[in-house]
Amino acid sequence: MLTRRRDRWLIHGLAIVLAILALSPFLWLLIMSFKTNAEIFHWPPRLFFPATLDNYAALWTSEFRTSFANSLVVSVSSTVVSLVIGVPAAYALSRWTTRSGNTITLWILASRMAPPIAFTIPYFLAYRYLELLDTLTGLVLIYLTFNLSLVIWMMRPFYDQLPRSLEEAAWIDGATMWQGFYKIILPLSGPGLAATAILCFLFAWNDFFFALILTRTDAMTAPVAVVNFMNYEGWEWGRIAAGGTMIMLPVLIFSFVVRRYLVSGLTAGAIKG
Amino acid sequence: MSGFRRRTILKGTLGASFVPLAAPYVSAQGGKPYTGTTINASCFQTTYYEYLKAYFPEFQDKTGIKVNFTMQAFPVYNQRTDLELSTKGSAIDACNITFIYSGRWIGAGWFTPLDTFLKDPKHTPGDWDPDDFVSGAQSQMKNAKGETFAFTHEAGAMLNIASRADLIEKAGLKMPETFDDLIKVCDAIDGKDGVKAFVADKLHHWNWIPYLMGNGGNVFKDPPTNLTPTFASPEGIASADWYANLLMKYGPDGQLSYSDDQAMRAQMSGRANMRTQALTWGVPLVKDPESKVSKTTRFALMPAGPKGNFPGSNSHGLGIPAGSKKKEAAWEFIKWALSKEMISRIVEKHGYPAVCRTSVIKSPKFKEVMTLNGQDVAALYLEVLQLGGKTGYMKYRTVPVYPQIGDKINRAIDKITTKQQAAPEAMKQAQAEAIQDLQKAGFKVDQG
Repeated sequence: MLTRRRDRWLIHGLAIVLAILALSPFLWLLIMSFKTNAEIFHWPPRLFFPATLDNYAALWTSEFRTSFANSLVVSVSSTVVSLVIGVPAAYALSRWTTRSGNTITLWILASRMAPPIAFTIPYFLAYRYLELLDTLTGLVLIYLTFNLSLVIWMMRPFYDQLPRSLEEAAWIDGATMWQGFYKIILPLSGPGLAATAILCFLFAWNDFFFALILTRTDAMTAPVAVVNFMNYEGWEWGRIAAGGTMIMLPVLIFSFVVRRYLVSGLTAGAIKG
Repeated sequence: MSGFRRRTILKGTLGASFVPLAAPYVSAQGGKPYTGTTINASCFQTTYYEYLKAYFPEFQDKTGIKVNFTMQAFPVYNQRTDLELSTKGSAIDACNITFIYSGRWIGAGWFTPLDTFLKDPKHTPGDWDPDDFVSGAQSQMKNAKGETFAFTHEAGAMLNIASRADLIEKAGLKMPETFDDLIKVCDAIDGKDGVKAFVADKLHHWNWIPYLMGNGGNVFKDPPTNLTPTFASPEGIASADWYANLLMKYGPDGQLSYSDDQAMRAQMSGRANMRTQALTWGVPLVKDPESKVSKTTRFALMPAGPKGNFPGSNSHGLGIPAGSKKKEAAWEFIKWALSKEMISRIVEKHGYPAVCRTSVIKSPKFKEVMTLNGQDVAALYLEVLQLGGKTGYMKYRTVPVYPQIGDKINRAIDKITTKQQAAPEAMKQAQAEAIQDLQKAGFKVDQG
């Protein structure tokens, strides 16, 4: 009995140590964001120091504020549009019994089959021609092309799992095909939708590469704006840390809000049957 | 005949009736042929253009040209501009030619030669004086034929910067003049007062080369004509080993991952003493309010090796992309932005330290600005820039594939410093990889 309790304490202690280790880079970033540049480079680093909010105040008065808003607009828009288009597509592909259904599903993944850098020049040239460079619409479209495949591939196994008899029962009761989907199927796929939405949001929110290549000033997103604190004649470490912390914040809030669905959503579609 | 006369008179009358309408338009332009023109210009974030932006309305009043100037972080700017230039875009009318990319961008024909503008007095008045730009800085903005593609707005001159010169004096020594002196000084001061004797950032392909050349080695056989890599020669291997030892023995922990800024902060916070680096990274040690070493910082020429002194110098210049559709307006902007008058004003008002015009560097105001802790640093700065121009030893930096080759050098020095590989193996491997890079890019290298 005693040994079992000791083992449990040991395992919990180990888990706490591992959690601290895993979170230490984020804690370091958070602490850095409340320091002056001189304090950041103080040797040895001090645990207690006069904290300052100057770095956050500086973010608020700089272009970072607009970039942060751009990131929110682009990430939310691309996530919503991807779900609006991708979820019905996943449902349709799930219920489509022909062989070509699988082939089409495979081809949908094509945008994910090569590293993003392979698409750089074609996208850049096309966007320049279409005058989509440095526009929020352009970024939403790019993220949509990548997120759509993710939505379809994550949601299709969910619908494969749901018995067809559910919507067939609704049809017998007089529901149309769309009513069967919206009123019966969609509410049952809540956890999958939450998990998929988080992944779509994360992809768009954290993207640096496309935002770097396809924006200039007007549509610049927060990850690129943070790099702009690395000036040629010196880096603004405090602002970089404050910017990094601000970028983490919406993801943490969003994940916290939908955490109930997250684990079940990520695992539910894993096993078909 | 009479009909002709009548028609002529009618035409004349009609024309004359428009004169009052046209006259205010011409007068409103005030002799500004570019009224209504907007040019897009860009650079990485640098203080020169940060200061200059405040004067843009003056330029617009003078020429009628509106300048839409954007600045981005150094890596962001280089990445975006490289893509814009390589796809022959017309979105940028004037932009910075970054030193490390000058060979690639100029060599690929992505910039407009400025000689046509320079030779035409209609475009360039004689007193603009292009020869006033320091030759060492300008040499990196030219191609092998000697055509000019940009004029420099910022130069870096490598000096030996000691943040705690008081420790050197206390040891009864002076700022080192030779490589042997450098080791002697490092031995004497390392660890004193908790300060490491030397510090460098991770860009060995810039920091190490003066030591390589001082020992009689070179990066290439005869750049830019013969680009056969030679840095794994016996001199190169010995120098790499010596430099790795300098870093390992006298540098602070973790310095192999230091950025420029981190190395500067190590000096500024009093953790490390000497650094051989561009002056731009030394001025904040004296002038930054957060510096703990503002009173003890001293500057000296880079120590010389047995074969001479080869301090690094670099420069960034403003040029016109080949794809620009507003080249004349862009030239007007470059002329104004880099005129003696504007540079002098920026120096006088903001104390800008990285000037490339000789007349401004020699001016009493610049000397006043660059007298740091009683030392005439302006003279050292000019000496280094001129040295680079005289012998052309900095030509290795203008090789188009040098960024890739530089990466190989960085990795080799890292491996030697961390004892992962011995100097001969590391340098030979780096050289073999460099040859592959050159051949892939279509350059011929000597066999054997």
